[in-house]
Amino acid sequence: MTYEASAGDGPARTLDSLVAGERGVIASVDCPPVIARRLMELGLIPGTEVEMIRRAPLGDPLEITVRGVHLSLRRSEARRIDVTTR
Amino acid sequence: MSRPAETATRHIAILGNPNAGKSTLFNALTGLRQKVGNYPGVTVEKKTGVCELPSGRRVEVVDLPGSYSLQPASPDEMVVRDVLLGLQDDTPPPDLIVFVVDATNLDRHLYLALQVIELGRPLLLALNMMDAATERGLRIDVRALERQLGVPVVGISASKREGLDALRAMMDRDVEPSTRHFRAWPPPLQRVLERLEQRLPRRASLPERARRDLAVAVLLNHGEDDALARHVPAETLDDARMLAQRLDEFSPGWRGGDVAGRYEAITALVAEAVSAPEGARRDKRSEAIDRVLTHRVFGPIIFVVLMGAVFQSVFAWAQPLMNFIDWSMTGVGNVIGGVMPDGPLRSLVVDGVIAGVGTTLTFVPQIAILYLFLSVLEDSGYMARAAFIMDRVMSRVGLSGRSFIPLLSSFACAIPGIMATRSIDNRRDRFTTIMIAPFMSCSARLPVYALLIGAFVPNRWVGFLTLPGITLFSMYFIGIAAAILVAWALKRTVLRGGFPLYVMELPPYRMPSWRSVLTTVRERSLLFTRNAGTVILAITVVLWFLASYPKGGEAVRTLQAERTQAVAMHDTPQVQALDHRIASASLEHSFAGQAGRFIEPVIAPLGFDWRIGIGLITSLAAREVMVSTMATVFNLGSGENDVQPLRKSLRAAVDTRTGARAYTPLTGLSLMVFYVLACQCMSTLAVVHRETNSWRWPIFMLLMMNGLAWLTSFAVYQGGRLLGYGA
Repeated sequence: MTYEASAGDGPARTLDSLVAGERGVIASVDCPPVIARRLMELGLIPGTEVEMIRRAPLGDPLEITVRGVHLSLRRSEARRIDVTTR
Repeated sequence: MSRPAETATRHIAILGNPNAGKSTLFNALTGLRQKVGNYPGVTVEKKTGVCELPSGRRVEVVDLPGSYSLQPASPDEMVVRDVLLGLQDDTPPPDLIVFVVDATNLDRHLYLALQVIELGRPLLLALNMMDAATERGLRIDVRALERQLGVPVVGISASKREGLDALRAMMDRDVEPSTRHFRAWPPPLQRVLERLEQRLPRRASLPERARRDLAVAVLLNHGEDDALARHVPAETLDDARMLAQRLDEFSPGWRGGDVAGRYEAITALVAEAVSAPEGARRDKRSEAIDRVLTHRVFGPIIFVVLMGAVFQSVFAWAQPLMNFIDWSMTGVGNVIGGVMPDGPLRSLVVDGVIAGVGTTLTFVPQIAILYLFLSVLEDSGYMARAAFIMDRVMSRVGLSGRSFIPLLSSFACAIPGIMATRSIDNRRDRFTTIMIAPFMSCSARLPVYALLIGAFVPNRWVGFLTLPGITLFSMYFIGIAAAILVAWALKRTVLRGGFPLYVMELPPYRMPSWRSVLTTVRERSLLFTRNAGTVILAITVVLWFLASYPKGGEAVRTLQAERTQAVAMHDTPQVQALDHRIASASLEHSFAGQAGRFIEPVIAPLGFDWRIGIGLITSLAAREVMVSTMATVFNLGSGENDVQPLRKSLRAAVDTRTGARAYTPLTGLSLMVFYVLACQCMSTLAVVHRETNSWRWPIFMLLMMNGLAWLTSFAVYQGGRLLGYGA
């Protein structure tokens, strides 16, 4: 299931493609319903700003912040979250 | 409890997100008047305590597990939902909820708060970590929050024990439930929920307003929800599933609709009630620490050094304490043995009961010291970083980074390792980790490895390593390889599936409070002693009986006659030698000795004779008991600290039937492999029983590990013989 926000200005990219320090606005969360709902409950709602903090030393998972919370997220999920960047 | 009820006890529940400081508040409110148990049927820990309020009345406080949402993603969260919706049979719905939030992060912590406020139960909001919020320049308008949420709000700092008097005073008053709503359902969903609500059974424990939340739970149910299956008729659940499918078709996105609505409400609320200078919402100190601790290069280096230091300390500090306990239990045994008349009762008390208590207590230093470190790591926030660093490695076997530290701890001892799996929120990952933890070579296996390597592995250099070194390393490696294999197999069969999302919060770094750390250490040590201790004691007594009875036998009587002669002739060396032979003959004659012979056909293909069989049986008390048992069997007396004579005896041992050498290096290797893989530690089984809340898992562990041990040793021994290494 896909949750979408109104389209942003920039090009759509996936969350895992952001580099450390880069910010984006969540455009859609395209995961199975149960997972999508949980991600949203943790603050990953379309229209919300996220920032990529870093990748773990072995490349996976990723650390992002959303609504002031630092979350660790695996690339397999981050790949299914679209963001728009400026 | 059948005590006459004076007045009905008031039940207060503490609730909040993980890392909100719930447990610190719980400890501060209840002190050491706490009880730890399990919710029935699940492996979620239930902590309750008693708190005295200013009016002098005592209330029962329950510390509910940390939770992110009322739509559960873990067994912990399911318990929270069940308690709040009145579906948890042993825990009455709370008369008052103390909802704890991190004041520095209302943006996220208010999400669950709004969900719970909507339930319409009396609730008061405790803004925890007010000191940190003030320090960062956040100004929170408590009155505005009260107005917006419709509940009383109080600022506290649980770790500094500030604001607790005000909180206690508020807990003493009657609180009216809030009438606010923060969610809006789209019309089609509204209609579906109304229809479902009609069909839900009426329960006294469920407030009228919360029926809507039960309907939501039923509609969002995705199976594996025991409480719903118990409390809601099956046809209603089937209807809900159909309705959900229809909504998926006509109103995609309905499942997340209320989430976005609540967050919008929170954003508005926070904008009104919180004023923050530019950048105050970020925790700059934590971010700076993280730049080092999760750095690409320094992160893993610091991690390895830290783990090494923790390990070294556990070994260095626990060993003297364990020796001390051993020594004092021997002392106690001697004193009691001295005042009691010789006989079966004395033997039972000294060799059965006191030995069992001693076995239990010798685990406590390792548990206490490891928990000291683990709770400092957890409370400081580092544990989540360790999981972050190791997640990639563990994901290869289908686990997550959270499993790493429990497994690492298991190299010291599987018992604290298994107890530490409580921090894994995914139930299947947790059970998989429990099942593979005993494959890590623990410190109790070292004396066995040392004995056998010394006896059978020549001290030769191979390149820049020695053969004994390589052998020891291989034993650790075999254990790890077996763990990987079993984890892989379990995650594909019995423990397949589960909530398939690995997302973890990296909480801000905080200074751990000593009070909280010491409470955890005390609580875990007591829990082990009380729960596992009884099982260990019972099995020790059984093993004592097996090794002591039946008494006598032809051989023992002949030896005792010889000893009487030797005593008369004052031939002390001869008396001592005969004592050792009597001990050996008695053991051989006992049930344990007979069992050794009885299992010989089963273990003969692995290269083991009945004497090793006896050692395997007595190893159930603790693996290192193997060494003293073999010493007894080989007439050496079990009190000897020097293993050299025993090594010589093992090498020289003769097969009593064929006269050939009984044990070859291949036997030694096969036996070591058996000790790596076999489940011999009853204390581990006792802890698995407590942590999985069932006997199914410990029995499965016993069969699985011993089956694997038998097959592998068989392959080693028979394979080695085919290759001509049997001589």
